[in-house]
Formats: sequence, structure tokens, C-alpha cells
Amino acid sequence: MSDEKKIGVYICHCGGNISDYVDVERVRAAVENEPGVEIAKTTVFACSDASQQEMIEDIGEYGLNGMVVSSCSPKLHLMTFRGVSKRGGLNPYQYEQVNIREQDSWAHTDDREGATQKAIALVKAGIAKARLARPLEPIRIDTVPRALVIGGGISGLRSALALADFGLGVYLVEKTDTLGGLVANRKSIFMDRKNGAELVTELIEALRSRDNVQILMNAELVEKKGSVGNFDVGIKNESGETFTFNVGSIIIATGAEPYDPAEQEYGRGLPGVLTLTEFLDLVDAAEDEGGLQYNDRDVESIAYIYCVGSRADEDDPSGRTYCSRYCCSAALHSAVEAAHKAPDLRQYHLYRDIRTYGKYETIYEEASRTGSFIMRWLPEDPPEVSEGEDGKLLVRVTDQLTENQKVALDVDLVVLVTGLVPRKNETLQNVLKVPIGNGGFYNEIHPKLRPVETVHDGQFLAGSCQFPKPITESVAAGLAATAKTAALLLKGYVELEPLVASVKTDACVWCNDCSVACPYDAIGKVAFEAKEIAQVNRALCKGCGACVPACNQNAIELEGYRDDQVKAAIAQLAKVVIP
Amino acid sequence: MDYDVMVVGGGAAGMESALTLGEMGFQVLLVEKESSVGGKMILLSKVFPTLDCASCISTPRMASTAHHPNITTWVYSQIEHIDKNSDGTFKAMVRKKATHVDFAKCTGCQECEFACTVAVPDHFNDDMVAARAAAIAFPQAVPKKAVIERHGSSPCSFSCPTGMKPHGYVSLVRSGLFEEAMEHILKVSPLVGSLGRTCVAPCERECTRSELEGPVPIRMLKRFVADVHYEKHAEPTYGVPEEKKDEKVAIVGSGPAGLTAAYHLAKNGYQVTIFEAEKEAGGMLRIAIPAYRLPNDVLDRDIRNVTALGVEIKTNHRVESVTALKEQGYDAVFLACGAMRDKKMRADGEELDGVVGALGFLIDANAGRGMNLSGKTVVVVGGGNVAIDAARVARRLGAAKVLMQYRRSRAEMPAVDQEVEGAIEEGVEIEYLKVPIRFHGKDGKLATIESISMKLGDPDAGGRRRPAPVEGSEQTMDADLCIVAIGETPELSEFSEKDKLEVTRFNTLKVDSTTLETNVSGVFAGGDAVSGPSTVVEAAHAGMYAAEYIGRYLRGEELPGKPLDQPLPVVSPADVLARQKSYRKYPAPVHHEVPAAERIQDFREVELPLSVEDARESAGRCLDCGGCSECGECVKACPADAIELDMRDEHEEVNIGAVVLSTGYRLVNPNRLTQYGYEKYPNVITGMEMDRLLAPTRPYNTVLRPSDGKVPDNIAYVFCAGSRDRSQDNRLCSRVCCMYSIKHAQLIMGALPLADITMYYIDIRAYGKNYEEFYRQAEAMGTYFVKGKVAHVFEKDDGNLLVTYEDIANGSVETMEHDLVVLATGLIPNTEPFAMFDQDRLKADEFNYVLEPRPNINPGRTSIDGVFVAGTATAAMDIPDTTVHAGAAAAQAASYLTQLKRKAQ
Repeated sequence: MSDEKKIGVYICHCGGNISDYVDVERVRAAVENEPGVEIAKTTVFACSDASQQEMIEDIGEYGLNGMVVSSCSPKLHLMTFRGVSKRGGLNPYQYEQVNIREQDSWAHTDDREGATQKAIALVKAGIAKARLARPLEPIRIDTVPRALVIGGGISGLRSALALADFGLGVYLVEKTDTLGGLVANRKSIFMDRKNGAELVTELIEALRSRDNVQILMNAELVEKKGSVGNFDVGIKNESGETFTFNVGSIIIATGAEPYDPAEQEYGRGLPGVLTLTEFLDLVDAAEDEGGLQYNDRDVESIAYIYCVGSRADEDDPSGRTYCSRYCCSAALHSAVEAAHKAPDLRQYHLYRDIRTYGKYETIYEEASRTGSFIMRWLPEDPPEVSEGEDGKLLVRVTDQLTENQKVALDVDLVVLVTGLVPRKNETLQNVLKVPIGNGGFYNEIHPKLRPVETVHDGQFLAGSCQFPKPITESVAAGLAATAKTAALLLKGYVELEPLVASVKTDACVWCNDCSVACPYDAIGKVAFEAKEIAQVNRALCKGCGACVPACNQNAIELEGYRDDQVKAAIAQLAKVVIP
Repeated sequence: MDYDVMVVGGGAAGMESALTLGEMGFQVLLVEKESSVGGKMILLSKVFPTLDCASCISTPRMASTAHHPNITTWVYSQIEHIDKNSDGTFKAMVRKKATHVDFAKCTGCQECEFACTVAVPDHFNDDMVAARAAAIAFPQAVPKKAVIERHGSSPCSFSCPTGMKPHGYVSLVRSGLFEEAMEHILKVSPLVGSLGRTCVAPCERECTRSELEGPVPIRMLKRFVADVHYEKHAEPTYGVPEEKKDEKVAIVGSGPAGLTAAYHLAKNGYQVTIFEAEKEAGGMLRIAIPAYRLPNDVLDRDIRNVTALGVEIKTNHRVESVTALKEQGYDAVFLACGAMRDKKMRADGEELDGVVGALGFLIDANAGRGMNLSGKTVVVVGGGNVAIDAARVARRLGAAKVLMQYRRSRAEMPAVDQEVEGAIEEGVEIEYLKVPIRFHGKDGKLATIESISMKLGDPDAGGRRRPAPVEGSEQTMDADLCIVAIGETPELSEFSEKDKLEVTRFNTLKVDSTTLETNVSGVFAGGDAVSGPSTVVEAAHAGMYAAEYIGRYLRGEELPGKPLDQPLPVVSPADVLARQKSYRKYPAPVHHEVPAAERIQDFREVELPLSVEDARESAGRCLDCGGCSECGECVKACPADAIELDMRDEHEEVNIGAVVLSTGYRLVNPNRLTQYGYEKYPNVITGMEMDRLLAPTRPYNTVLRPSDGKVPDNIAYVFCAGSRDRSQDNRLCSRVCCMYSIKHAQLIMGALPLADITMYYIDIRAYGKNYEEFYRQAEAMGTYFVKGKVAHVFEKDDGNLLVTYEDIANGSVETMEHDLVVLATGLIPNTEPFAMFDQDRLKADEFNYVLEPRPNINPGRTSIDGVFVAGTATAAMDIPDTTVHAGAAAAQAASYLTQLKRKAQ
């Protein structure tokens, strides 16, 4: 490589997302004579195949040794254009992405001049940074062909089986003494009325027949070291001993649990006020056409109150603003089952919106045909449950469907259609460090592009720990997580970002500040010549940069964000006066 | 095995499955029926609930799919059949549809698109605007390659004997590219002016526009092209080709066949000499077709198109032996000597003075030797074009009464309708089912004609009903002249005697029907000499074919060898008309003629030319039946030389280990929701149309309503349009419509801050992660949510719509006015995959989605072991669910493949 810098700069219109608010041609003209810029072009969609092809050709034709694309957030396209660089023969780490969409055009839709000036400044800063970028090679780590599955519910069981099918070793860790999670107790699951216990047994038997699966009961993950492809996980058993296992990836299938209503919430505590789970147990226990009994009394009428624990107001302290997705279908399914067992049953469904999405709509239809009535209440006027006469329950509701009539129902049972809430396990959360999202469920990286992956490479989500899901969707997510695991582990190695911290051996005096600042335990102490200095474990370092400002000797630097690069970028930004 | 796994369908699910399997190290074949991967997701504006731009999150995925080292992507390809082998692998037959563009060469520069003269509905924009027949599907297409949309041969182009592709020059005229149109026609025929006037236009008979107000006046458009060009260029714009070949070709006869053959041979560098017995070149065009139909200067100019290439025409030179020609050094001979001898009636008195053959009569008249017929009564016998010509010429020579006698009825008459009508206008009388049987003379000169009436009997071999005389119906009339126009026949006796050329029992030259070669090697024949009297266009066709095969003969190539032209199957008019909801009928195309009383004074041209406006307007009526018009502009424009109009579909059989079906869904057809007036009211649109209107790649720069382009400010959404509706045969909830409508609401409020948006819903199904919050946000932004099903929609005069709905909150039926109504149309199954397998092997569920027999523990598996299903092929799903499900399908396929490999080891 010659010392002369030859940078290709591309300014994206984003089909109007940028060019409607930024004069991209002016940006191009303003940067084309910057030092080191060989070519500067505009493009309608930088990410389109044709533009990528053009960049690849430019790299060859102009002998580019640096590239800057000014388009959207690097979260979207950093990898895209690094890939382009690589295919064109340019080291991917000599590529620099400048975000003039999220950080410019979308933020300044009312100020074309200002947005254009800002874009010029941002692009110039990016060019300054690219001028100083060094070619880097990824850090290669050999992967371990084993995986850890946390949680022995249906999703975890199915995941473990799939991993075993791929020839990977599996440790399945279950906190309790039984496998099968919520499904194990269900006799009839929607919508095909299959016996949940049988499904679970089938999976467990299949798993027991595999010699590459180890099931650890009454056990918990308490420790995790290492990085993608090579984790050391500490599993504590019931006697308090911790064993360490070496795995390449972790599938989190910890599930969710039914919401437990507070005392007096919709009459909770009164005899005959049941949660959905309690009611399902009651129905499961009953004989076909044998009628339903509760406390030795025949049940002739039931009122279901929907959305208990779900769809709370935004300002509700519970934070449970979400819809629990599965409960409408589950409740209506239970109503159909109950009607099979007690054909004369009167059932009232006090709902907000019936959310029997997709094919589950047929459950709603079936319930309507088998003696279920629906009544709609609004959140500002929720139903009230109180003790009635003769041991019955009195439910008062204002029914929107009958011109807001106030209806009083005398019923034998009230079923609180309870949603799902995340399982509380702070130890696990501290070990996994997976971000928690809305409602307290684990968050994926991107709901559409990477729905079972977390921000931590090698840690995947399966099932209801991410969000409430019916069985088939939980299992699908578990399988998807195994596919991602297999993609990671079957190759035998993984390549990591080389944008990690490095220690200037001459400047470091080992004060421990960097090590304390590191959230990933990636910095340790080593002997170096006559002194002790800090050393970065490149596989563990995430490139977060926390150590850099902590160092009082200026002895630690982050590749890709070295001081000279950042200073050069700031110098460019400082030059521009935004009107 | 060619590939480990084949993924069918390159939408969100297909890409996810392919990428996941590819990452696992499996070799993946991704087959996509459209020209780009991306499926329906790339069509969307943004996606809920994150409001990511759909293009922005699709394109990286599309590019990584296409560039993945383990994924091979075949776009524009369809699965015809999948069979399972006994070892658990599969064999699939894939049809790779002809793109007509060599993808290896195409750079995606779009030059073809800019040059294309055919507009087609832009499917990417839900047909709201037009795209070109040669086009890249959409700006972010992957691969970014052009495809030429061809449904088949347009009926006009398919019917033209010369292979001239009339659709091509019609679309060029429509685009105002008159010189290019001339160039297009000149590729096939030099006789542009002549054909533009005399062609019987089989193309117009087949024109689909005939089903509406009448055919596109294709012949007149060709004449227009010639007129415009000749007006500008008195002489051809080209000269003798630079590349000269040594071989010499003699052509006997300078009619349309001879001239056309000479033109093509000379263009290819051969040295061509035409021998013409008459004083002037042109054959039948000159001597038989009257000047009022084909002026001599037009024919002269057409002939100069041939002579400019260096072709020599020796007039007054009758050839009596081809052997002699070969002895003179000609390497090949083309006999195109026509059918120049009038047939006789073999009736008593035919030898009388005053009984003449039509051809002789016309030759004299055209040469200015026409007899003075002032005040005379003339009878013309026959019903062909020559008979009509003779009758109309007789009127121009002054005949007081011209009576045609034709032995069949009008229906069987071979003459062109327009000519027959022209003759009648000019006062020619026609007696059908009548024929002279005897001529009576006085002093050796015709005095009376005895005719007999005929009746039609059974059809003959040609399908025309055979006439039979009605006994006792003889009648006699006075006449001064009888012109016999019952056909012509070639003069071949010398060739058959001296050159031993074989002659058929119809007295025509016997040739190979493909190569036109006679029994004597190197001697070819065509035109009327072979076919008997026929049309100019048939003769031109023969000339072109003769040139091709003479060329092959001279180059020593195999005859017949590769066929000259392999047109695509013709498109049926019914299919063409079914493409659009309705068509406007226009008044018949303009056709002007000189008034009859004026034109019979002399031989001036009867038909008046089209103006530029008329020409473009008439050409604009073309329905582009075949899609691409084959005008060839893209071929010229493509800098990479990538266009291959003769590319054809190819079939390829592949062996694979497993199959993933990710064939996606279809959208509910809104036309079925008649109560909402989608067909009738322009301002009722679908959710997908709104998505396009809101997308960054939107067709207009804002949201416009279709009827008048007004920016709407009071928009209604009709939820569950075609979903949860047994009357529409779709009981299911479509899972996405509530949410995409809410997404629209948020986007519209961003784009049109003053617009009111009302959602008429049954239940709001915001059941996914962050969906409920997204819904509440839309509500907080000011979207009105009204619980109530919409009963019907009516249109007001100003295009606004009256929406009648049940207002559940008040228990009343209300009507509200909106200026745009969006139908939240749902998803229905795509049943294509079922046909890929032997009967019933791939099971459907009760809703016609691909069945997952055990969805609880084996989502992604189907009724066939080794065949998996990903995404919306098995149920309506949103994008996150689709991605997860596709990941599950990939895991299932990987598991199957691992087992297969274990078994194989």
C-alpha cells in the first residue's frame, strides 16, 4: 500500500429520506476536494445492488484505500458496506460510515440549509477519520461444538433436541425438578386440542435417547465467562455445588409465568374467582359431558374478565402496557372445552378487544357457537366483581355492544383472563446481561431482521422469555435459535471485530483503573519487561471504550476510534459554523 | 446432489431460510419467480411497530442473499415439479423464464428502460403508475438487472407473413419515433410505401383492438412512416454495403418477391442482378395495381431502396432459361417471375373482340394505353382484388356502367372490403351469384353477354361454398366490353422444358416449402410463380425467405438448418382484454379518401395520408398485447449488448436434499368487496396502494387521491376488508391489517399533519411486542378509532365518499363523508406450492395454507418428510413472526439434511 490516501466518498439520497432535506449534490461538491478524496459521488440508494457493484468497481479502478458512505445509521449498513469493501479488495476496516439520515435529515426536516451544512461537516469528519484508518484483520476464535439451553419448558426441550440433531452437545439446565414448563400441566392446548403433557413426554423421551444431551435438573446458571463460541458457564446444582461447562453458545428459554392478580383485583380472593390457569386446571380435571364442579357445586354460569394484568395504562406503575397475546385464544379455547364438559353452561366474555389472530379466529367462532356471549367494556369503566346471593358472584359491567347498558350477571365462577409476565431471576439477568425491554422481557437485537439474537454474540432467545407466545410460536423461536447456534458453531470458528482496546506498553504504569472500568472483565495485569502493565483479552473486549477515558496515562487506545482519528474528526466538525 | 436445499420464494421468509442455511454451511438454491428477491416486504413503506424503512431493512438482506457464497439465486424462475427420490432426496424441474436480457452482461444502467416504447403497469407500485416493458423491477432490485416483459407474440406480429413485427413500428409511431419506425420496417422490407398502400393487412384482422372500436390502422401507419421518411429523404440514406462478396445472384422478375430477395441479398454483400421483362421494374406492383392505389413515384422510391444497395435491374429483358443464367456466371438464381397470364373462362365467344383479360387491361391502363370507355357498358367477371381494380379502372376510363359478376356471394369474395366499398362508392355495380356462360358477338365484336344465376352448395377443399348453376336462369345483357378477372397463372413452359424445372399440376413451380429451392440445385423460386396469384405481402415474405436460403446455399450451409424466425406463441385477445378492468371505446380511427365523384376523374391516389396527430393517436390505441413490441430500441440502446429478444424459457433439472417452501401469501382481491366500491370509485384504494403512496420510493411525492390528485385530508380505513368474513370465503383474521393501518395513520399524520384519520374496526388486534403501545401512540396522535363494521361506501359527485357504518358506541347506523377510503385488505393463501407435487402429496389445511401436521412441536414441517414450509405459506404472519418461522424451517431442514448425510455415510 502506498502512503497516498485514495478515498471514495458516496453520498446517499436514500430515495428521498435524505435528499428531501439535504442538498446531497452540494454535500458532494463540498467534500470532493478534501485531502485524500479520490472520487465523490451521489447515489439514490447506496445499499442497492447496483450501487454496491459500482463501489466495488471504483475500488479497483481508482485503487481506493479508503471509503466513506454517508447514508444511514451504521446499525443498518455498516456491515453492508464493510462487505462491499471486502468484495472490492479493500480492507473492511478502512471503511467509515457517516450517518446523515437519523442524525441529520430526519432530525432537521424543517431546515434544509442547516441540514445540508451539518451533512457537509459530518462527511468531512468521516473523511478525516478514514484518512487515518488502518487495515485490520478480524480476531478468529475456535468455537466449542456444544450449547447451553437454559430452561426446560417446551421451547427449551425442543431447542435441545434440534441441537442434538445437528450433532452438537447440549446441556439443558432446568431450575425446578420438573421438565415441561407451563405446557406440562395442560391437557388440551389450543388450537388442535393436543395433550400438552404428552407432547412434553415425547420430547423428554427423545432427549433421553440422545447421548449428546445432558439434562441438569434443579440447576441454575450462576456464572459466565468467555465470549462467543467459547463460554465457560458455571452451573449450580441443588446441593450448592458449581460445575463449569465449556459451551459455544447459550439459548435462553426461561419462559414467562402467569400473572398473579393482586388481592381484590376484580374480586380476587372471593371464592369462585379464578385465574385462567386455575380455571384450566378445573376444566382439565372434569369429565366429558360430566359437568363442571367448583367447591362441590355445579357450575352453570361463568364470567370471564379479559386483559387482567395486561394492557395497562401508560402511567400504570406495573408497566404492563403490553397485550399478552395468547390469553384471548386460551380463554376462548377453555370456554369451548368447558362447553364440551358442561353443554348447558352459560359463559359471558367481558372483553376489550378479542385478539384471536390468524387461524385462532376459528376458536372465537367455535366459542360463539357453544354458548358464549360477549360483552365489551372500556378501560375507563371496568367490570366490578362482588359477592352475590347463594354463594354466587355478582359481576357488574357496562356493555358497549348493547348501547352501554349496565348489566349485572349472577355467575358461579369468575375467570380472570390473566396474561403472562416475565419470570424474575436477577441472578440470571446479571450473568446474562441481556437488555430488558418493555414489560420486562428480554430484548432481541432487531424484531424483524434478528428476532432471536441478543446484543451479545452467542446468546439467543427462545420462546416466552422474549414476549408472551403460544406454544407453536415458542417452539418456532426455539428452533430458530438453534439454527442461529448451528450457523455459529458448525463452522468451527468465529471471527470477531478487531475494533478492540490496546495498551501502549511504554506508557502504561498499571494503576488498575482500566480494569475496574471494563464491564467485560477483559483487562488483566501482566509482567512486561521490568514493570507490570495492563493487557486486553481481545476475545472478551467489546470495544466499548470505557477503559480509554479511565486511563490517566493516556496509555490505552481503541482501534477504530484512536485519539488521532477522533481528534481529526472533531477538528473538522469544529470548523463548520452551522447557521 | 446439485444443492443441499432448494428454497422456493425469495421474500422475507425465503431470504431468512436461505441465509440461515447458507450460514450453516449448506449449499442453497434460492428460486424466485419475480425478477428480484425481496418479496412483498420490499413493497412496503415502513414497518410496524419500529417504523423502520422497509427498503432500508430489506436491501441489506437482499444483497447478502444474492452475494452469499453458499447461496445460488435464480430469479425469474418457477418450479414446475418436485419429485421425491427413494433415498430421501428430491428432483426438481425449474423453468427459467426468458428475461430477454443476458444478466451476465447487464449492468443495470437502465438505458433499455429509457429507450423502451411500451408502457406496462408498474407492478412494484401496485399498478398505480406505468413502467416500461423493458425495465428493472424497482430501484433497489437484487439482482439489479433489466427484464423484458413478454407475454408472447402480439397477434399482429404473429400474423405478418414477412415477420415484420407490426407491433414494433406501431409502438415507435406512438412514441413519435418515425425514422426509427422506418428503420424497423426496412429491416424486413424495402417496399415500405407499396406495402403501406397495398398490403391486405392480415395484422389488422388479428388486432385485439377490433374487439373494441376497431383495429389499429396498422397498414396506414406503415404508409405514414414511408410518407414521412420519403418526404424527408428523396433518396435512401444508405449506399452500397462496404463488405462485398464474390457470389452473383440472378433474380428473374422485379415484383415484390424479386425486389425483396434482391434487397436482402445485396445487404449481405452479394452481387445481385434482376431481370425484368417489362419496360419498368415493379412487376405486379407496377403493372397490375392501379396508380390510384399505388402512385408510381412511391413505387419508384421503394425500388430505389433496393437499387441503392447496388442491385442492377435489367428491364426489357425476358429470361427464358435459368441454365443460361448459370452459364453466365450466376451462382444462384431466384425465379420470381409471377403469374402474368390471364386465365381463360373457356366460354363460347371468349375470343371475340371486346372480351379481354384483366391483367392485359390493367397493364395497358397503367402504361397510359388505356382505351377510351366513355359511355360504354363494361362487365367485369370475378371477385378478387384484380377484378375490383379492373372495375374501378374502367370507371376512370369513362365507362358509364360497370357491372361485376361474381359467381359466389359477398361473404366468399376474396377482394379486400375497403376496395369493394370504394368500388361501390364509385358507382360499380356488383351482381353476386352470377356468371357469364356465353358471349355473343356482332361482326366479331362483343354485343351481348349471356349469364346464369348460381347457388351455393357444399364447401370445397378451401372451405368456400361451391357454386352451382341454377338451370333455366339464363339472362342476356348488352355489353361493350367484358373484362375477365378470374385469376392469373404463371408462364412456365420454357423453364420446364429447357431447364427441367418441376411444375405442379396447378402450373406452378415446385419448391421445397421451407427453403424454396426447386428440383435444380441453386435455383430457388417464390412469389406468385410458386403460390399462384396471391398478395403482395406473401410475395415479400417469399423474397425474404429466398434471400435467407440462397445465402445459406452460397455459404455452403445446411438447408434448411435453423429456422429463420421462432416467434413466441401468440397471445390470445381474451387474455389481453382481461388485463384491465375496463376499456374506453374511441370513435373509429380517422380514414380520409378523396370523394368518389372527384377521384374517378383521373388516377390520383384515393386514400389520403394520416396527419402526424392522427397517426400517433391511432397508434396510441395499441393494447400492447405481447407486452414488448419487439421494436428493437432497447437492443440499439444497450451499451453492454445484453438484450436477446430471441431468448426462450429454459428448463433445468436439479437434485436437492430438501425443499423449503417460502411461497408467501396473496392479497385479498378487493374487487370482490363490491359493497365498498373498489372497482367503481377511484378514491377507494387498498392498504398496499397506501403503502406505496407512503413509501420513500413512492410514485408521487406525496399522498394523492386517484380521482383528481387532491391531497386527502379526511381518510377512512375499513378494517377486516375480506378477512373474518365468511361471505368472502375467508374466516380467518389476517394478523397484519390492524397494525399496518395504524402504521399508515402514524405515517400519514407525519406527511399530512392536518388530515383526519378514522379507523372503522371490529377489534384492534395489537397483540405483538410493542404493538399495543404503537396503537395507543396512534390514538394519542389523534387517530379516531370507531368500533363498527362498514356496511357500504357510496361516491358523491365530487369524488368524496359516504361511508355507512354501525356505530357500536351509540348503537346507531351512521354515515360519514371522507375524501379517501382505504380498505385494510387481508392475506389469503398462495396455493401455488400444491401444484408442484404429485397429486395431494403436499397437504393443505382446511384454509388452503400449507399444512403443518404437528405445529406444536414441529413447526415448519409439512406432510412430506424433507419438504418444509417457511413463513406465510402456512399462515398469515407479520414480519417478525415470519423471520422466526423461517428460522424454524431452516432448523428443520438442517436437521433433515444432517440425517440424510448420516444415512449416506
